[in-house]
Amino acid sequence: MLTLVIANLKMLARNRQATFWAIFFPLLLVVAFGLFDINNVGSGNLVVVDLDGGPRAKTLEQALSQVEILDLESLELKSGEDAETKARLKVSEKELDYLVIIPQGFEDGDPEKSQSPPGITLVYNSRDHGRNQLVDALIGSLVAKTQPENSPLPISQILSSQVIEVPEVDYFDEVLMGLIGLGIMTNSIISIAVRVSTFRNQSILKRLLVTPLPIWKYFAGEILAHLVLASIQVAIFLAVGVFAFGASIHGNVGWIFVIVLLGTVVFLNIGFILSAWARSPAAASGLGNLVALPMMFFAGAFFSTATLPWVLPEAARVLPLTPMLDALRDVAIDSAPLWETWPQLGALGIWVAVTALIASRVFRFS
Amino acid sequence: MVDTDVDQAVRVEGLVKLFGSLTAVDDVSFDVKRGEIFGILGPNGAGKTTTLEIIEGLLKPTQGTVSVLGLNVFKEPNKVKARIGVQLQSSAYHDYLKLSEILTLLGSFYPRRVSPTELLERVGLADKAKSRVKELSGGQQQSFTVAASLVNDPELVILDEPTTGLDPQARRNLWSLIQEINQRGVTVIMTTHYMEEAEALCQRLAIMDHGRLVSVDSPRNLINQLDATYRVKLVVANPLTDAQVASFNGGVEVIQAAEGNAYLLRMHNSPKALATMLEEINRSEISLEHLEVTPVTLEDVFLELTGNELQD
Repeated sequence: MLTLVIANLKMLARNRQATFWAIFFPLLLVVAFGLFDINNVGSGNLVVVDLDGGPRAKTLEQALSQVEILDLESLELKSGEDAETKARLKVSEKELDYLVIIPQGFEDGDPEKSQSPPGITLVYNSRDHGRNQLVDALIGSLVAKTQPENSPLPISQILSSQVIEVPEVDYFDEVLMGLIGLGIMTNSIISIAVRVSTFRNQSILKRLLVTPLPIWKYFAGEILAHLVLASIQVAIFLAVGVFAFGASIHGNVGWIFVIVLLGTVVFLNIGFILSAWARSPAAASGLGNLVALPMMFFAGAFFSTATLPWVLPEAARVLPLTPMLDALRDVAIDSAPLWETWPQLGALGIWVAVTALIASRVFRFS
Repeated sequence: MVDTDVDQAVRVEGLVKLFGSLTAVDDVSFDVKRGEIFGILGPNGAGKTTTLEIIEGLLKPTQGTVSVLGLNVFKEPNKVKARIGVQLQSSAYHDYLKLSEILTLLGSFYPRRVSPTELLERVGLADKAKSRVKELSGGQQQSFTVAASLVNDPELVILDEPTTGLDPQARRNLWSLIQEINQRGVTVIMTTHYMEEAEALCQRLAIMDHGRLVSVDSPRNLINQLDATYRVKLVVANPLTDAQVASFNGGVEVIQAAEGNAYLLRMHNSPKALATMLEEINRSEISLEHLEVTPVTLEDVFLELTGNELQD
């Protein structure tokens, strides 16, 4: 028995490619997770439109900039634009999470001087309900602190909240698209790489070469079979997501399939490319994981890539999974029609062409 | 140049194949006639498989021309592939498909095809149509790969070491299968490193060694070339002296003095020479421990032509 175990270990050790990835791969995951500042994920951005400009307003602004879960940003205005109008628009477009408007006369907000003291307005969209409650309470307490100590007013009189209704999207809706992207990508890359490598090792590819089957038909056959498989996968993901976990798909489901299938071709091509380097099916699987899993993190399948350090957010944009996920989320969450995702579809199209070219250069039959 | 000779199934002329600095095939020329079983015999590394892969259109030769069924393999590879059947030496088949499904799949690549049921019946695997290749015995697997080479009802079948690794019974079953295919008018080219197989099956034989073609002829002619009819193995108690060997007379030739006191002799003017030798042994009181007399086989031909034993 021991002899058998030792022999097996020897065989595994001699299959160097597979062993290398088996060790290297978990390491890679650790690094990828480490790069994400998970605690940062829940924070929102904030813009303060100060129409008063007095010291009280400055104190409040200063206090807001200290809040950990809010990133204070300044609004970039083109000439002739009204700050408040522009900021409100950004909230409704979901580019901005929170807007605080400090009205004119806030400095002298003394109830004895004015019948209706100007209050602070907090504007946010309805998307992140839990965080909204927290931020609402937090800003209320900060505003209260800026009041003159002798005559405090109830919070309800000095802070009013305006909620802009946007379609309900929870984190899961975003993650569902990430999961679809991940599932399709991983399966397509690894399945092709392992199949081709197995068929080559067993001389099945060579056996096909002695038949009059045109080579392109072999590739077309593999690609079509995997497109069918990908469609079934997406249908299952969507069904489980929507019916079992209550996800909402706001856009056209048909477009989701179109985007996924275009992306699938890219990942299949990558699988064909990787198969050329893999000397065994096990190594092919490792190589596939090596390519697929970092892409899962860096293309923002689960977390926003904005929290990545250094040039990584920019680098993430050139990965093929990124345009696929962007297009999927535009359609599924923001109800965009397919043609509005043309930049992403174009990027995927370029990926299809480039990977097909490389695959045709490096593919090996024996 | 179009080969108009309808009797030629394959014509190979001046074939050379280099892999880097290794000469795998070195100036090989031969013809295969339609309707025959043509064998290529040689040890591992002799260049048999490379030669076949060039004929099949899998490899391009460094030099030389090959025409198959009157067509240039390199100019019209798909026309050739449609009319020939190939069994590769090491090819396996899809693990996850049933036998009949594999044959259907392969058949779909050809304009003309035979039904999987008929093919499986022909090779005696009709009851295994729903099995997977892994579930077959070694002999059944080889029969299946032969069946797979017949999916397109080919005029020429190329079998690369079809019986390697099989037990004697399975090997004989495969021989009858190959003969039966040949009797239907299909030309067969096969490689082997078994002498008795080449002798039993092949009408003509090409003997290859180190990439070179040593000889092409029928097994009978190859044996007759040797000008010897018996091979004698002799084990004696004490080493023979040169004088004793000489006294066996001109009809005997010592081809190998094996370990210690064992001798391999070839006998030309049998059976009289045999009688003379035995008389001589008796007369000089050589103590004979073992005597074996067998007819000359292709093994001797190979030894004679290449100076090597065929098998390790």
